[in-house]
Amino acid sequence: MMDRALVFLARLKALFLRSSDDAAFDNEVEAHLEMLAERYQSQGMDAAEAKRAARRQFGNVTLLTQKRKEARTTMFFSNVARDLRYGVRQLVKTPVFTLVCVLTLALGVGANTAVFSVMHAVLTKMLPVHDASRVVYVHTSDLPDGAHNTGDFNTSFSYAAYREFREHSGLQEVIGYIPMSSSGKAPVRVGVLPEEAAGDMVSGNYFSGLGVGVEQGRGFVQKDEDDHAAVTVISENFWTSHYAHSPDVIGKTLLIKSHPFTIVGVAAKGFEGTEGRIPLDFWIPLQSDPEFNAWGNPAVDGTYLTLPTFWCIRLLARIPDGVTQEQALAKAQGIFQQVAYLGIAQKRAGERVPQLSFFPAKQFDGQDESFARSLKTLMAMVGLVLLIAMCNIVMLLMARNANRQREFSIRLAIGAGRKEIARQLLTESFLLVTLGGVTAWIFALGATRALGAWAQIDSNLQPDSVVLWFTLCVLMLSALVFGLAPLRAAISSGPEMALRSSATASQVTTRNVRTGNIVIVMQVAMCVVLLVGAALLMGTLRNLMNIPLGQKPEGVLVFGVRPQHIQSKEESIAFFGNLQQRLRTIPGVEAVSFAANRPGSGWSSNNGGLRVDGHKPNGVEPKEAYYRHNTVGSDYFRTMGVPVLQGRDFSDADSATAPPTVIVNETFAKKYLGTVNAVGHVLSNSKGLRPRLIVGVVKDHKYTGITEETRPMHWTVFMQEDLENQLNVEMRVQGDPMAMLPTVRRFMHEIDPDMPLLEPMAQSEVFRLSISQQIMFARLAGCFGVLAVVLISTGLYGTLSYRVNRRNAEIGVRMALGAQRRQIVWMVLRGSLLLTAVGVVIGVPAAIAASKGIESSLYGVKALDVVSYLFAIAGVTIVALAASGLPAGRAGSVDPSTALRAD
Amino acid sequence: MAADKSEVLQGTLDLMILKTLHALGPLHGFGIARRIEQLSDDVLTLNEGTVYTSLLRLQQKSWIASEWGVSENNRRARFYRITKRGLKQLAIETENWERISGVIGRVLALETKVEP
Repeated sequence: MMDRALVFLARLKALFLRSSDDAAFDNEVEAHLEMLAERYQSQGMDAAEAKRAARRQFGNVTLLTQKRKEARTTMFFSNVARDLRYGVRQLVKTPVFTLVCVLTLALGVGANTAVFSVMHAVLTKMLPVHDASRVVYVHTSDLPDGAHNTGDFNTSFSYAAYREFREHSGLQEVIGYIPMSSSGKAPVRVGVLPEEAAGDMVSGNYFSGLGVGVEQGRGFVQKDEDDHAAVTVISENFWTSHYAHSPDVIGKTLLIKSHPFTIVGVAAKGFEGTEGRIPLDFWIPLQSDPEFNAWGNPAVDGTYLTLPTFWCIRLLARIPDGVTQEQALAKAQGIFQQVAYLGIAQKRAGERVPQLSFFPAKQFDGQDESFARSLKTLMAMVGLVLLIAMCNIVMLLMARNANRQREFSIRLAIGAGRKEIARQLLTESFLLVTLGGVTAWIFALGATRALGAWAQIDSNLQPDSVVLWFTLCVLMLSALVFGLAPLRAAISSGPEMALRSSATASQVTTRNVRTGNIVIVMQVAMCVVLLVGAALLMGTLRNLMNIPLGQKPEGVLVFGVRPQHIQSKEESIAFFGNLQQRLRTIPGVEAVSFAANRPGSGWSSNNGGLRVDGHKPNGVEPKEAYYRHNTVGSDYFRTMGVPVLQGRDFSDADSATAPPTVIVNETFAKKYLGTVNAVGHVLSNSKGLRPRLIVGVVKDHKYTGITEETRPMHWTVFMQEDLENQLNVEMRVQGDPMAMLPTVRRFMHEIDPDMPLLEPMAQSEVFRLSISQQIMFARLAGCFGVLAVVLISTGLYGTLSYRVNRRNAEIGVRMALGAQRRQIVWMVLRGSLLLTAVGVVIGVPAAIAASKGIESSLYGVKALDVVSYLFAIAGVTIVALAASGLPAGRAGSVDPSTALRAD
Repeated sequence: MAADKSEVLQGTLDLMILKTLHALGPLHGFGIARRIEQLSDDVLTLNEGTVYTSLLRLQQKSWIASEWGVSENNRRARFYRITKRGLKQLAIETENWERISGVIGRVLALETKVEP
């Protein structure tokens, strides 16, 4: 083994050192010959004779040089080069075959690579931090009673709990971070134009605790957190896009929420914050200014620093060395359950105690189960597609190589070894796979981006080395399969076959036919599975697209507005009231209103506690009466196109000084008042305080997103609410809402040049985005289904037409003996229909199993939807008929005399 | 070709070259060829070129090494010498050869059974 390796290395070296080495060898031989000649001369021969004798004695110089060359650089390389040339010629000779194979591979492997790379990035990629295996996301199960939060309840902690926890938990580091707002973004300004950038307020140990380095300057220190210093670290991306990678960025000022922050560092390239969804542009230390309250909430009663009941800070922790995660968790659990109640009156009897849990520091905090499931389903689907694609190529190769049987036989007969033929087949498949692989990789790069867009993930999706290895492994496997599958058939024929006549020799053996049949049946079965899946998901898609929204989002423009310097309720009412009046004057604007939570964005206020006219609402305990709420502006329902069933819409007259009003939806009226005639009744909180008069009942409509279930809901106007420091402007305009955007921008710039429009978009787009994942999933799955069907039909067509061609002689005999055209066609069709039927019989149970797996992704379609199954069965039957119909027709028109004479 | 001359037995050329280099120290190809010819008392017909094929093979296996030098009659020539690895191999192959030739010798020494 060692020797072989040494020889190989020596040969490899020789390959590259060829020319000088060759010259040296020639010299050596020359010297030898001269010395030999001299010797003969000294024995008495004359010069010429001596030379001849020397040559005779030395042997064939040319042969020696040749042998030496072969030995030196190994036949392997020159043979491979020859095989490659031959392979290329073969592929060029059959361009359609080559193109089909390459495209099939590209689609199969490319789709797999793309889905795998997204799955890898989302499910397994770790944060780019030092020793990520010891870093965890900290989650909790419950909030203590009396606490509230902005974001997800299981990732939020109070600042007080965080401080204490950090000191006493025994964890090496406890790192806190708070997004700038519910969207994660905040207004910033580098030059003249205000814009939004994503940022986190973080603890002083954020960079040091995570072990994230800097490109320039420094990370934060504890003093930055303690002093709430006005310093910021920006991301490498932001540095590149806004400061052109300038090294003197350190010390420059970045305006965040109109406050000047000094840039002290640029984070290491590739680090874009935690949790992954949006890549962060900047980090600032925890701030104390009310304008920098957690999640951009108005600081009416205090900030996150002063309100222990406000759970808002997210935590990461580093497990100390030498301690297992379980031990660390057990210790932290005890401490946490004490500090959780800091600043909260007292633990109530029977209250569920919050439980900590640790999650690995993956790029994406692994919470979105359904998303992971969708990805796994997609992976399974593209895996099937790849399998089908590979089956197809194998069948195509077999069919092609069967036509080359004679070529192989002749080669065997004239002395080629089986090894040579194997090597040549492998070389050809390697060529195919290389071509397909390169195309696949290009395709995958694009597809990954598209998938990223689907998942609404901006960062770190580029295929990395793991993905590359995955793809290479798939390709290597394909190369082997493609090379070896046709091999047995190719060499089993043996040299004697070349001598037989073509027709008898080319009779397909029973075993080959059976293998082919199995492949066809399996393909049909897989086709059924994929078609059923695609049909179910397409049904889901159709249902999703056709859900009535209960409103007319078309023609409505929405954008967020966050005035920076509003400190009181009065200022807020004055600002937004004025804004509404001014926006109404823009030509083409039909109605303007506000919404605190943007409809369709997924955000909602959920409340509980309600009395109707001071009593229990319709038999429900006042505390148990849950409802959703949104704060809106006057004209809201007219602007949004929601029908008012009873009473009226909000108007400018519902001012801060007017009697408080509320509008409810149908479901609310039915559930809590027992009737739709709710106007005139009075709602109050569970203690009977803060009474509000119901002035209208509106038709049920969608609030958080397209797929939500209708719930009891009510609306109040911002003029009669607490301080609102951010509202969404809803604007009904004539024509395309986005066309109005530039006008609105100019308009807003005049009002306040530091105030960017927050996420401006068409309102219909907001709703569409709320189901974009499902839509994309359904579309992708549909695409893969169709792709599979296309692959299968080309595969079936290829195989069946090849089979018919091989039976030409037999068909000729049959016709000569009096078979009708009809009978011949039927004979061919019957064969493939039979195979299809067997495939369907196997495919249907498999499809039932598979559709159970995607049940959770379905909307309004049952997993056992009969129509989808019928569609799938009809689909494969049509494909099979089409694929065999053409060759069958051809078979029917075989001219018996030609067919027979061909032999 | 004279009947009393025989071809070099397959695989033995390598062994002979190794042994020659081991016994005589660094030699050029011509020298090796001469030495083997001498030793064989002209029994072996040696295509001297085959020496080079063998030298190349041995060199690729790192059993011998080579460097350029000047021959006794002032010619530039490549000198081959045996390496440590080559020494080990020589020992192994010598033992092998002795064992095999022993076996062959014993077989050939069998007395012919005379048929009655």
